[in-house]
Amino acid sequence: MVLSSVPAEYYLVLSAAVFCTGLFGILTRENALMFLMSVELMLNAANINLVAFSFYWGTLTGQVFTLFTMALAAAEVAIGIGIILVLYRNFDDVDVTGPTTLRW
Amino acid sequence: MLVEALIAVPLVGAAVVAVAPNEYAERLALGVSAVPLVGSLYMYLAFDGSGNALLGGDVAYETFFEWLTLGPYAVNYHVGLDGVSLPLVVMTTVLTTLSILSAWTPIDDRQRQFYGLMLFMEAALVGVFAALDFLLWFVFWEAVLVPMYFLIGVWGGPRRKYAAIKFFVYTNIASLVMFIGFFALVFGLGDAVGSTGLPEIAQALRAGQLGALGLPGTGAAIPADVLALSAFVAMFVGFAVKVPVVPFHTWLPDAHVEAPTPASVMLAGVLLKMGTYALLRFNFTMLPEQATTLAVPIAAVAVVSVIYGALLALAQSDLKRIVAYSSVSSMGYVILGLVAYSYYGVGGATFQMIAHGLISGLLFMTVGVFYNATHTRMVGDMSGLADRMPVTASVFVAGAFAYMGLPLMAGFAAELFIFLGAFRSTVLPAAPLFTAAAMFGIVVVAGYLLWAMQRSLFGPFRLETDYDVGRAPVHDVAAIVTLVGLIVLLGTAPELLYDMMSDATIDVVEMGGELP
Amino acid sequence: MVTVAGIYAYAPAIAALPLASFLVALFAGRWLPKKGALAGILATGGSLVLSAVTLVELVLTGEGYDERLYTFVAPAETFDLGFGVLIDPLSAAMLVIVSLIAFLVHVFSLGYMNDEGEPGLPRYYAGLGLFSFSMLAFVFASNLLMAFVFFELVGLCSWLLIGHWYREAAPPSAAKKAFLVTRFGDYFFLVGLVGVLATFGTARFAGEGGFPAVAEHALAGETTVNTFGFAPETWFAVLGLLVLGGALGKSAQFPLHTWLPDAMEGPTPVSALIHAATMVAAGVFLLARMYGFYALLPTVLAIIAFTGGFTALFAATMAVVKDEIKQVLAYSTISQYGYMMLALGAGGYVAAFFHLTTHAVFKALLFLGAGSVIVAMHHEEDMWLMGGLKEEMRVTYLTFVAGSLALAGIFPFAGFWSKDEVLFETLVHGLGANPLLLGGYLLGLSAVFVTGFYTLRMVMLTFHGDPRTDAAADPHGVGWNVKFPLAVLGVLATVGGYLNPAPLAKLTGAEVDFLHRYLDGPASEELLTSAHHYGDLTHKWAGYTAGSVAGSESATMLAGAGLSLALALAGAGTAFVLYRGPDPDRHTEGLGDLRTVLVSNYYQDEYQVWLAEGLTLRAATAADTFDQGVIDGAVDTVSSVSLFSGDRLRRLQTGVVTNYAALIALSVLLGLAAFAVVGGWL
Repeated sequence: MVLSSVPAEYYLVLSAAVFCTGLFGILTRENALMFLMSVELMLNAANINLVAFSFYWGTLTGQVFTLFTMALAAAEVAIGIGIILVLYRNFDDVDVTGPTTLRW
Repeated sequence: MLVEALIAVPLVGAAVVAVAPNEYAERLALGVSAVPLVGSLYMYLAFDGSGNALLGGDVAYETFFEWLTLGPYAVNYHVGLDGVSLPLVVMTTVLTTLSILSAWTPIDDRQRQFYGLMLFMEAALVGVFAALDFLLWFVFWEAVLVPMYFLIGVWGGPRRKYAAIKFFVYTNIASLVMFIGFFALVFGLGDAVGSTGLPEIAQALRAGQLGALGLPGTGAAIPADVLALSAFVAMFVGFAVKVPVVPFHTWLPDAHVEAPTPASVMLAGVLLKMGTYALLRFNFTMLPEQATTLAVPIAAVAVVSVIYGALLALAQSDLKRIVAYSSVSSMGYVILGLVAYSYYGVGGATFQMIAHGLISGLLFMTVGVFYNATHTRMVGDMSGLADRMPVTASVFVAGAFAYMGLPLMAGFAAELFIFLGAFRSTVLPAAPLFTAAAMFGIVVVAGYLLWAMQRSLFGPFRLETDYDVGRAPVHDVAAIVTLVGLIVLLGTAPELLYDMMSDATIDVVEMGGELP
Repeated sequence: MVTVAGIYAYAPAIAALPLASFLVALFAGRWLPKKGALAGILATGGSLVLSAVTLVELVLTGEGYDERLYTFVAPAETFDLGFGVLIDPLSAAMLVIVSLIAFLVHVFSLGYMNDEGEPGLPRYYAGLGLFSFSMLAFVFASNLLMAFVFFELVGLCSWLLIGHWYREAAPPSAAKKAFLVTRFGDYFFLVGLVGVLATFGTARFAGEGGFPAVAEHALAGETTVNTFGFAPETWFAVLGLLVLGGALGKSAQFPLHTWLPDAMEGPTPVSALIHAATMVAAGVFLLARMYGFYALLPTVLAIIAFTGGFTALFAATMAVVKDEIKQVLAYSTISQYGYMMLALGAGGYVAAFFHLTTHAVFKALLFLGAGSVIVAMHHEEDMWLMGGLKEEMRVTYLTFVAGSLALAGIFPFAGFWSKDEVLFETLVHGLGANPLLLGGYLLGLSAVFVTGFYTLRMVMLTFHGDPRTDAAADPHGVGWNVKFPLAVLGVLATVGGYLNPAPLAKLTGAEVDFLHRYLDGPASEELLTSAHHYGDLTHKWAGYTAGSVAGSESATMLAGAGLSLALALAGAGTAFVLYRGPDPDRHTEGLGDLRTVLVSNYYQDEYQVWLAEGLTLRAATAADTFDQGVIDGAVDTVSSVSLFSGDRLRRLQTGVVTNYAALIALSVLLGLAAFAVVGGWL
């Protein structure tokens, strides 16, 4: 197998890079949609890890988990988009730094 | 199953009243509260228990079944009444009915919630006095706080939020301290008890089975005597807040002043008695040796409560604050009676719980009736009320004299017993001096009540607030006149209750002091 | 326990009848024709008849009665808490006195209250009924607990009745003062009561099981009681002094006398009933009741004698300068009770009770007479606005004079005999082994002169001379219901002294000292309340022995009687001379600074008001400040610290989700770093 010759570290680096991209997005973006995408990136970083280690150890558990995570991410997007729509309806904007009325 | 009925009827009634239309809520609540009233009176008449429920006495109306198991401890549903708790249960039902009656006039907003909470509180209070398992008891104990919090916080005066939160947080922290103290004891008993039943724990403690409490992970252990003493102190402090004992009393005047009249009646009449009841049940029944060791500081606290509370009452000009502070003073007598560990001391303290419940309830109700008419409680704002409200004024006079310990009223009997018991206590050094010092309270109490009556009831009629003052409605007067009748009845025939009380407390006395 | 004689079983009814009239007047009074007066008259009349029958029974059968009636609580311990009836010569006679005066006062009230159209009559008669009930029950109380119970109830009634006219400002204030001052005394009484119960286990007065008898045995070393680590003599003296505190309060003795003059704010019949004849007598009666205990305590006896003698003179001097008729009478009441205390302290048990009896009669008479004058004067009490009333009010005048002469101690009126006996007892015991008592005697003797003076001054100003106001010139007539009680009491005040003319008995050897024989009668023998038993006790334990001047009892007696009569006459004569004539001068003005002191009542009120307001109230205010500031402050500090720190911490909660994410990321990094350091990866 060609794949088996790729060391696990490569996957980890890829996953870390994707995760950091997502984190960077969350820390810098103000648009809620971008936020959602960044969160998806971070989730997928975790998925890469799961699949990689699953492959590495030769068990299917990690890959099954990934399927769950993807389903979860889909649900999350559904709810997330819903929240964003409500946000837009109430504040006429999808800027996440604007609405702070629930803080205290 | 009578006790269950006594708890269930007001509980179900509370739910029903809470969804009933506002205009019927008051009558419905009165009707519901009459059921436990009649039930408890029947239980009083048919009472056949003897001895102390915690010390192997014959418990009346007992129910026991297994409930849960928590680790090594079986938590059981165990309720029953003895000579100490039955009078308190009767007083609870009587005062609940009367305070519901006294709420008719002042409560004109969200009636169904109000009466629902009152009935809920009644159920919890009966549970507190009837429970014989610690966890069950603790559930009721904490459940009482909830309705009272809302009663003060929703229907209270201008500073009701402050008062309600102060009341809730203060007593809740106290419960925490008490809880830790009690469970330290339970853990110290180790395998000696397999349940959280109060009788089991009390009897194991009496049998001297308290061992050292090992501290997990350190290998160190708290020796049994230190454990007992610190548990005693923790529980004493916890209950002292509820009683309240100086210096833990400051929540009381705030709560009373802000609370609506019926809540004040329940607060002074019954909720304070939870503290003294628990002191008697826990500290003085379970740890008599520690109580005798600490007799002098406890008696000193009692005397300070009596005199200091009375002095504070003297400095007030709000009628409710006056009565609130004198409650602090009166409850000091209870502590003095308990710590004396003598036949008349502990019996008298128990009797004082009932006497003070009725008398302070009466005074709060009467102040409430005045307030309904005048919309002020400040002594300086009114004078000559006797001219416009002669019957209510007469009842206030009767209540005030009862508070001063006028003979042939319940307060005198209670105070006489306590003084007799304390004077020759074998436990307390210099007992006559402590007693004589505490007795001086009867002069101060006469001072402020006579002063308040002279200023507000007598003299030419004058009112600062512009309200038309006339005779009080019949249902208001009926409630207070009933209480006067009960107070005189108990004052002339204290044996009606004292027999069963002394029968239940004599075992406690034998553990601490000796019978002279 | 003495055998039960039939009539004694009805003794509780003596008190129960007025209780019934209290209930009738309270609940049904407003619908009754005389607003409860008739019920009261019937009830006290019934009590009078029953007491008289009881007294006759006692004399005829020579048997006392001491029976427990009601158990307060079962005596599971040794304490004996119960109510009972004790009928012995002392209580039987006192029952007659109290019910007689109560009856007459009820009748008088018809004229004073009903005819004047006073409001609140049902309340008034309820108060009188409750008072009669409490006082009568106090009198036949068989133990100290019951005595205390009714002693307090009497105080309540006094509060109710003094404050009867509650719509005015002064009466409620006076009522408060009366109750507070007596309560202060009762505090000591209550401590004493608890002490007696704790010491002896019983509070019964009479018999071998009574606490005086037990105390005697304890002193003799025949039995031991719990004396709380003190010597029995000391401990008993402490108990005696504590109970004495209650008696000083109720009997208005120095320093607790200040309430009585203020109590004159109440309706005059109340002053007659309560503040002259009966309630104030309760204190002295209590000491007489437990005289078997006091007779054992020489120190306490000396204190009683001195307090009494001092009060007698002290109060009499204040009466000299008063302008209001009821004030004069109030101070004379205090003074006369001082004589009774003096007698008790000096071992004159019979003399004290004799004076109590005659005083009850003549002081009730004087107050009712004053009430009659006040009605006639349209409720004016200032004697300087009266004058010349003797022509218009013959019955009142004659009876008032009889009462005044009795008060002044002029032969042959009742007061002469009793006051003389008080002074005689003090003198002989003083001459015997207790020279200290001579001091008391001198105080009492000086008071005789002052008493004569103020009494005659009062009579002269009120009734003699020319009318000084229109009201005095045309007094409003009084009815039979006023005159009848006056006449009855007037006769009794004139002849009452022949109850116990001890000097006659001593001089002639005739057995005419009836009261003494009665109090020494067989009925008291078994109950240990007989006069000679008390005499033996004071002799044995307090060392009282009779002495004499010139070695002869008769000579001593004649000298003493002559001296006191001469002083009384001198005092009365001085007043007569000074206030004679149509328009007398205000002679007491000439006393200058002394008058200021007297009018201000020796500043007794001032210091007591200072104690109450200056000291206690200030302490209370300080305590309140402390409580709100320090104790509640500490509680509030806990909450404000929590609130403040919460307020600061919540600043972290910006509401910007990016910040939260940054915080989380930072925390994770820090956590990783910490793990790295601790786990040794680095």
